[in-house]
Amino acid sequence: MAKKILVVDDDPDILDAVTMILESQDYKVVTARDGIEALANLKAEKPDLMVLDLLMPKMDGWAVCKELQDPRWSKYRDVPILILTSVREEASRRRYELETGLELDVDDYVEKPFSPDILLERVKQLIKKKEKS
Amino acid sequence: MTNDKDSVFLAEGGEHEQHSEEAAFKMWLRVFVTVRWITVLGILAATFLASRIFDIEFPTAPAYGVCAFVALCNLALLFQARSLRKMKTSLAIRRARIYGTIHLLLDLAAFAVLLHFTGGIENPFIFYFVLHLIGASLILHYTSVYLLATSVIVMVSLLVGLEYAGVIPHVNLAGFADPGLYREGSYVLAILVVLGSALFAATYMATSVAGELRKRQREVMQLNQRLLGKRTRELEQASQEIAKMEEARNRFLRFLGVTVHDLKAPLTAIQSYFWVMLGGFAGTLTEKQRSMLERSSQRIKELLALISDLLDIPRIETGQMAQEMKDISLKPVIETAVGDMSDLAKQKKLKLKLEIPKSLPRVRGSAPRLQQVVTNLLNNAINYTPKGTVTVRVSQDDKEIKVEVMDTGIGIPAEDLPHICEDFFRASNVEIKGTGLGLSIAKRIVETHGGRIWVESPCPETGKGSKFSFTLPRKRSKRR
Repeated sequence: MAKKILVVDDDPDILDAVTMILESQDYKVVTARDGIEALANLKAEKPDLMVLDLLMPKMDGWAVCKELQDPRWSKYRDVPILILTSVREEASRRRYELETGLELDVDDYVEKPFSPDILLERVKQLIKKKEKS
Repeated sequence: MTNDKDSVFLAEGGEHEQHSEEAAFKMWLRVFVTVRWITVLGILAATFLASRIFDIEFPTAPAYGVCAFVALCNLALLFQARSLRKMKTSLAIRRARIYGTIHLLLDLAAFAVLLHFTGGIENPFIFYFVLHLIGASLILHYTSVYLLATSVIVMVSLLVGLEYAGVIPHVNLAGFADPGLYREGSYVLAILVVLGSALFAATYMATSVAGELRKRQREVMQLNQRLLGKRTRELEQASQEIAKMEEARNRFLRFLGVTVHDLKAPLTAIQSYFWVMLGGFAGTLTEKQRSMLERSSQRIKELLALISDLLDIPRIETGQMAQEMKDISLKPVIETAVGDMSDLAKQKKLKLKLEIPKSLPRVRGSAPRLQQVVTNLLNNAINYTPKGTVTVRVSQDDKEIKVEVMDTGIGIPAEDLPHICEDFFRASNVEIKGTGLGLSIAKRIVETHGGRIWVESPCPETGKGSKFSFTLPRKRSKRR
């Protein structure tokens, strides 16, 4: 069965591009334009992986990560998160730590602009890892 | 002359530290106590000498009694003076004055009694009341001193007047003074006038001097406080300015964060589409289309690199990088940078060598930034070396770690060497595109880490190409 991937980004062009790349490998893609929509879709669609942007309106990616730490979301804790953002990883982790006092607990981090091959490779690895566990 | 009101005001101003006026009062009290001991000894000696050596006949018991009384008072004053130490300044000064007044009055009474039993008007020591008043001037407020002077002259007049009138008995210093002297009106009057005038003159002089002294002390205090206040205000102002600068810096960093995102977002989207098309995810491309897309994609990449570089500079200069620093291991940083560049070296058919010790001490720094430095140096070395070898050599001594990147490339013209790390500087012999910011950023990163960066061309080891070196200080071991 096709694996389902939730892609979250406020930029429709990025959503389009990522969707095209992922669909080429027969992944089923669901999208969300902000953090709130992302959490709703996480519940409704139960994806196998979430590709998450950080800088977004309404609710940003860091807030989504923080929200998922809450026990209410424990059911979804095994959904791997791949951050796909233009924010440098170092700066992003620092910001999260400063705001929450916690370490940013994500499974992978890809900085934009990204090459399609690298994205596909990382997605493949994360899905494989999830299947094993 | 002094004024009690402002003395209290000032005294309350300087609460805890030793007030100079308070210190002066304590000193005067000590002097008072000492002078009193001397006075007691003096009376004892005079009594002894007068009665035993000079054979003056008078009852000595009252003299010794007065001595004992004054000595007891003095002991009491000693304890009272000690109790002042822990008091607040305003209270201490007031207390010191009260104690002083009480003891001066006690002394006055004691000496009046002594005078009565030692010949009254016949006794030349009668003029010692002047000394009594001088002592009082140092401690008491000047009006009190005048009152004291008046009471001395009134008391002495009363004593000799009553003796003169025969109301109280007269004790004659037999063998020293004529027994009828105390009844000689003109003599008695003359002594009283001289004593009275001497008392008031001494009071006037002593209170003037003491008042002036106190005034000066207060002026010094006021000056000190004014200076201290000024200093405090200046400090406050400075810290406010620092806070303002800090806020401006944070605002600027937030502005940069938004700017970098907004500048990069559309380019990133374009780049993603290019890559989607180039990857064949949107259908097959003709060779011409592919080539144009590749070139477009390359230009976008350059633009993204320029934006990153431009925004790196203020980020480093506003201290953001310093905040990212932590204890890191340098070895993986260098190995990753070398690994990342190996493809490019392979493409150009260059040898890429890494000479690195088995273990390296940890340093305090930002791993991605240091990796950026090594990557930049390697990128330059590979780009400007048509053939040969690029070598990365890492060495250490007890003070620092040194990283050298050597190449066998085109080198740098001597006249360009001093400018090589300047913003936007491009050496005159290069054709490859670049922003001219890479080295200036590398320099900023290294220097923020407390290290140095320099270049030699040709490379001293190989005689060609160039060698870039940078150092990082070793973390000081905590055992020391």
